[in-house]
Amino acid sequence: MSDKVGPTGLSEAESEEIHRHLIQGTQIFGMIAALAHLLAYIYSPWLK
Amino acid sequence: MIYGKIWTVVKPSVGIPIFLAAVAIGSFSVHLALTLNTTWVKKFLNGSAATAAVIQTVKTPTA
Repeated sequence: MSDKVGPTGLSEAESEEIHRHLIQGTQIFGMIAALAHLLAYIYSPWLK
Repeated sequence: MIYGKIWTVVKPSVGIPIFLAAVAIGSFSVHLALTLNTTWVKKFLNGSAATAAVIQTVKTPTA
């Protein structure tokens, strides 16, 4: 099943491996962004 | 989950730069819009943090 190759030449297993890394990168980016916004808000609360 | 299989039909060398560019352009646009349309981001970026969030109110003297 996961040996099926699509139009890009990647198998489903390879595709899912890339996707896992993309999701992980997005989560790390999101956590850093959330932390940066928290620090900025502590430094100077906005909309008050 | 079906989403992981997207890279069997979209080339990662095309899809990943588009995804990253969308994130970058979206983030930049939001911050640019806030900088252009509010006063407090400009004050914050100029370093006047203590006063950036304070709304100045001037009381008019009553006779």
